[in-house]
Amino acid sequence: MSGHDFHPLVKQLLDGDITLADLPSELRVEGEAALRLLAAVDRTEISMPAVTWRVMATLERRRRRFLPWLLAPALAIAAALVILLRPTAPAPTAALVTVRFVLVAPDAKQVSLAGTFNQWDAHVTPLVRTGATGVWTATLTLPAGQHQYAFVVDGVRWVPDPGAPAVDDGFGRRNSVLTL
Amino acid sequence: MIALLALPLTLLTLQQPAGAGIPQRLAGRVSPALGSLVVELGTAASARGLPIDPLIEKAIEGIAKGVPAERVATAVRLVATQLDTAAAALREGGAVADTLEIAAGEFAITAGLSGSDITALARTGANAQALTVGLRVAGTLAALGVPPAEDIGLVSATLRSGESSADLLLLPAHVQSEVAKGVTPAQAAAGLARAAAAQGQHGPPPTHPQHAPAPLPPPHPPAPPHP
Repeated sequence: MSGHDFHPLVKQLLDGDITLADLPSELRVEGEAALRLLAAVDRTEISMPAVTWRVMATLERRRRRFLPWLLAPALAIAAALVILLRPTAPAPTAALVTVRFVLVAPDAKQVSLAGTFNQWDAHVTPLVRTGATGVWTATLTLPAGQHQYAFVVDGVRWVPDPGAPAVDDGFGRRNSVLTL
Repeated sequence: MIALLALPLTLLTLQQPAGAGIPQRLAGRVSPALGSLVVELGTAASARGLPIDPLIEKAIEGIAKGVPAERVATAVRLVATQLDTAAAALREGGAVADTLEIAAGEFAITAGLSGSDITALARTGANAQALTVGLRVAGTLAALGVPPAEDIGLVSATLRSGESSADLLLLPAHVQSEVAKGVTPAQAAAGLARAAAAQGQHGPPPTHPQHAPAPLPPPHPPAPPHP
């Protein structure tokens, strides 16, 4: 095409909006010329040069090669989300065993039990004095396993259970051992 | 594929960093300095597949008993060392030990057994649950005064005989019962080991429950008057 600018009606003709007969007579010559030019356009299929195909093929191979690497993070994130959001399996429940603790301490004002089962808290598991004989008892339900403990007499004296095996506590005292 | 595997593992590691939760469990119970030490030891222990509960419990125990922090720190370090010893002994015995077995092994060491004793128990080929109970029972027997040789002999024979965990748990009471009759702990354990070995040769009785629930422990013996 040259730099020639067609009349708007001729452009409508080229667009197929109107026919040659619709053009005013003074524009028909221009319209015919425009149609000739349009008919002269080469409409044969354009084929890409071989080098272009090679470039395109290389790009496609690279796309395919990098696709898994682009996909992998997405899949990895999905897998991670599955791990992070998966429902936590309930821990197996340990069997519970009822145990009675006994200490004979006639002179004690109060006795409690501290051990691995109550975070060594001397205030949460008191023993009860039964009668006037100085026998202090507590009955606990503990999970099966191993527990270490000691009696705490009057809030200050840590006393191992005389009726149970005991091990060194690492601080110069003894811890009683309960294996259930 | 590497990214596929690495990212979830990385995120999982970030989700549960080694030693996670230690500060929360120690909050308000121990000094910041002792807490930092326990976090440090616990993080390293967890990274090596060791349990952290014994470290936390020892720190809490020490402070609850009014022990100076420096001494508590020493005790916690000792526990960490014993956990390593127990884990190594179990590995040497061919056990793929979990944290429960290692903690049980650490207790056995506290009670006076050695790494080689633990290895000997691991070499019985007992399953993880039985080995865990066996280690706890061996430690308890040691605490009762049974010498290591008789202790390991008894527990090994019982493990090999196919006795249930409930039967294993009764061994300390049996030893105490025999001692009450006038024999030494070593003699009591040796006698029980011979019985277990004989049981192992003939197999357990046909009516023996393989998965019997753990029975209630025997009634707590009355303690002598507290001085």
